[in-house]
Amino acid sequence: MSGDHIHPAPTSFLRKHVFSTDHKVIARQFMWLGLIWLLIGGGMAMIIRWQLANPGLPVPLLGHLLWPRNGGAVPPDSYNTLFTMHGTIMIFLGLTPLLIGAFGNFCIPLMIGARDMIFPTLNMLSFWTVVLGAGVAFASLFVPLGAAEGGWTAYPTLSSTIGTPGSGETMWAIAVFLIGASSIMGGINYITTVIRLRAPGMTYTRLPMTVWGLVLTAALNVLFLPVIGSAMILMVLDRVFGTTFYVPASMTQGGAGDPILYQHLFWLFGHPEVYILILPAWGIVVDLLSFFSRKPAFGYKVTLGALVTVTVLSAVVYGHHMFTTGMTAMLGESFMLLTMIISVPGEILFFNWLHTLWRGSLRLTTPMLFAMGVIFVFGLGGLTGIYLATISTDIFLHDTYFVVGHFHLTMAASSLFGAFAGTYFWFPKLFGRMMSEKLGKLHFWATIIPLTIVFCTMFISGWAGMPRRYYDHTDSAYLRPLQHLNVLTSVAAFVLGAAQLIFAFNFIKSRWWGAKAAMNPWQVGTLEWTLSSPPPHHNFDTIPVVLSGPHEFSHPGLKDRDWLPQTEAAPALPPGAAAPHAAPAGTRA
Amino acid sequence: MTTLAMTVAREPRRYQVNTTLGMAIFIGSWTMAFATLFVCFLFLRHREPVWPPVGVMLPSLPLAATGTGVLLLSSALLHAAVGRGRIGAAGLAPLWGAALALGALFAVLQTWLWLDVWRAGFHADAGNYYGLFYMLTWFHALHVLVGLVALGWVWAGILRGRVGVLRLSPALATSIFWHFVDAVWVVLFLGIFVL
Amino acid sequence: MTSTTSRIAKPGALAASVALALLALQAPAAAFMQEGPDRWGPNPNASANGGRVDTLFWVITALVSVSFLIVLLMLLVTVLRDRARPGVKARYDHGSSLHDKRFTAGVSVAVFLLLDASVLWITMHDLRETVWNIPTGTQNVLRVEVLAQQWAWNFRLPGADNEFGTPDDIVTINHLHVPQGRPVVVHGSSKDVIHSFFVPDMRIKRDVNPGAINKVWFQAEKPGDYEILCAELCGFAHYQMHGTLTVVPPDRWDAWQAEASHIAQATYDENDTEARWAWDWKE
Repeated sequence: MSGDHIHPAPTSFLRKHVFSTDHKVIARQFMWLGLIWLLIGGGMAMIIRWQLANPGLPVPLLGHLLWPRNGGAVPPDSYNTLFTMHGTIMIFLGLTPLLIGAFGNFCIPLMIGARDMIFPTLNMLSFWTVVLGAGVAFASLFVPLGAAEGGWTAYPTLSSTIGTPGSGETMWAIAVFLIGASSIMGGINYITTVIRLRAPGMTYTRLPMTVWGLVLTAALNVLFLPVIGSAMILMVLDRVFGTTFYVPASMTQGGAGDPILYQHLFWLFGHPEVYILILPAWGIVVDLLSFFSRKPAFGYKVTLGALVTVTVLSAVVYGHHMFTTGMTAMLGESFMLLTMIISVPGEILFFNWLHTLWRGSLRLTTPMLFAMGVIFVFGLGGLTGIYLATISTDIFLHDTYFVVGHFHLTMAASSLFGAFAGTYFWFPKLFGRMMSEKLGKLHFWATIIPLTIVFCTMFISGWAGMPRRYYDHTDSAYLRPLQHLNVLTSVAAFVLGAAQLIFAFNFIKSRWWGAKAAMNPWQVGTLEWTLSSPPPHHNFDTIPVVLSGPHEFSHPGLKDRDWLPQTEAAPALPPGAAAPHAAPAGTRA
Repeated sequence: MTTLAMTVAREPRRYQVNTTLGMAIFIGSWTMAFATLFVCFLFLRHREPVWPPVGVMLPSLPLAATGTGVLLLSSALLHAAVGRGRIGAAGLAPLWGAALALGALFAVLQTWLWLDVWRAGFHADAGNYYGLFYMLTWFHALHVLVGLVALGWVWAGILRGRVGVLRLSPALATSIFWHFVDAVWVVLFLGIFVL
Repeated sequence: MTSTTSRIAKPGALAASVALALLALQAPAAAFMQEGPDRWGPNPNASANGGRVDTLFWVITALVSVSFLIVLLMLLVTVLRDRARPGVKARYDHGSSLHDKRFTAGVSVAVFLLLDASVLWITMHDLRETVWNIPTGTQNVLRVEVLAQQWAWNFRLPGADNEFGTPDDIVTINHLHVPQGRPVVVHGSSKDVIHSFFVPDMRIKRDVNPGAINKVWFQAEKPGDYEILCAELCGFAHYQMHGTLTVVPPDRWDAWQAEASHIAQATYDENDTEARWAWDWKE
């Protein structure tokens, strides 16, 4: 455990690069793992979009390799595996390691002024547990009867052995369980570290919002991953030991279980999960908007209250995923009302973001573009949530592409933009080099434009009645006149996919050949920017004393610069200056 | 505190707070897991008109009740052991060892409980009564196993002098976990055998 | 300047070439462009109450469009006006004054009332008056039992006796006939996995679960054929699980039902247990 004394740096290759307990190394490990799996999951999405636009046509390049017996075209059951694994990979092996594993590990100790996480060995174990889970997921792709095909939601009884025989679905459940366990380990570490290892003067209201987003995520992880873990235990027991927790008595099976029980368990986890994925991104956006507007984050405490409210309410809205399952009127209306209510703190967040930008001095760097991009994509996606919260419209739109568009904008795009923003922003501190600004801006525009086309077209498809998880829409006379929408979506999706190669190129090139980074290239005041790029093994030579908040920009008392390191107290106001709206209590010395 | 003890570095109190806090959050997580499984148990049970279902061989109540008593005693001894450890009094090692032995005895009794009904042909696929019974007790037993390993590892540390009044946090963490395992068993026992 | 240009020129050109290549691969997709006009929305509503869904959809669309436009406008103004300029300082404002908090609260309440509360009001009416308000009895009401399976729809009409499980039940696969202008109450279940009974033109959808019975109702107002789709992943042929809903004009319904019942009775096979699926109707 870290204390005032400095542990010596490890020397062996294994302890330095493989089984390291240094949070910065673990962060980079999570980052590489997350980025690689985003690539794999994204590749699966490209194949899905190919099949939807060109039903039954051989997939270029990969088709004959993967499905030689089908002439290189995706067979229907493999198609179901593709979207199942796409969802599972993007959420559990892409976004979670990247946003929560990498940024949580890297940012928390540095931003709070600590030398490492409070349980460094547990930290290392959490990374290797994800690797194990990823291995099981990967191995499941090669089993004889095929990998999981029940959707990432895996509803029984499709996910029971009657619906999906073989070990693929079972291995999927085990992989999810392992990855969940890793996140719980990480969650314990993040919460305990932030409570116990904050530097002197780093009060809770002086924490960068990035840290708060990660802490709230950690709390949700700790509380709700066990719920899906339990759901998976019951599923594995059903599949392997012949229990009937989810298997009812019907014409094809005997049992005393209830498939809807699974849906309750799954969504009790599933809805908090979407907040787990977005809260770190929201926290990063609050900070970056302030940093690059050279203005304090507007309404820090109110924003924090909004984030906490969303966190608390996240568990009681889950029924809006189940409006068509035949729930009672009272239950349905309660979930609808609560879902509407949870949008209010989200609106407050928006308001404070826009107000942070307003009358600022905007530096439109790549991290700033992506942070503002979150406002755009989450605005679009979040507003479409109203259609789905309203039962009358949800009944029509449920399980159509409208939902796919909605969750990709709110969950995928917003979290991913947050992750991109964080990557461009902390790259200098992580690797000691700068990423190319020009390529970064190109990446941003080449991403946001096709992304908007892809997912907004899905709103049209969904309103037109196009169901999701269909292998071939042209099979239906009702859906055939909508095929042009599929083509449009796919074309835009291919451009979107190609654009990510710009990021991959930029990332790899800059990692080894980028311009050397200064200590504080962005001129911001949080603690990590007081250290070298990258920081030494032990982070701080002496634990800093914090005297101000993270967003003290453009203070009228500052003379030759517009930023203030957190280790300095806010200066006195110049004589005669009207007292501006003051910093919240606890941020002045 | 003797001068001798003061020359050997005592683990700072904040280490104990850190460990306890981390373990408390960990327990919070496991509580959610057991709570979820227990709620599933109650839910599926209340769908049945008759419980226990007709024709089902009930697991042995005396065996389960004995196991409960053994586990409670184990926790009590462990609590006493930690108390001795805090003040550096004698008795930490024997009390801890006794708690460990009783924990192992519980594991033996549990195995007997299962073998009893398993050999009579009531496997996990013998309807939801047994599905739920095995699910709850197997999941709990996994935690008992982990707890026994931890108890054993700490006991070895006590015997070697690496855990004691100067370094108590491993013992604190393990004892919190063991009390949790115990408390969960009491709830399971009441749910399966009493209510 | 040239070094910067060449630094982005090569990867930029690479990206552009890849994009163009992928675009070119879309040529085969043209083969799948259907004859006839493209559609950009659902077919016009063909049911008595489906129009409420459409109305609500457009009301919400109007509200969210205005909201989003305001957000876009604010973003645009701030990007244009507030770009970093030499000599111009950002406003130092933590937004923590009482005035700011009151303003935030006020805006939140206003947005909730304008957006959420108004939508809630409309949908609650729809729900109470139609969705939850399933017609009961047999007066004017047609009862239908639906049993979904991988990958087909089994339908059962009770025939003239309004009893399910009798020889005059009209049992069909993938084809459901209903009368125009009368409430149709559907009770649905599944043989195997969860499916979902979706008739876009009637604006209804309800999951059909194994081991349980779910209820939904609609009233068809226009005669014709409409498609039934499955809206819950049910295996590899989920996309092929279509059915046809035929809405029969009122003057022809009795004749159709009589003939169908007659055929059913004539072909009734007591030994075909699979065809004799049915359950007692419980309101």
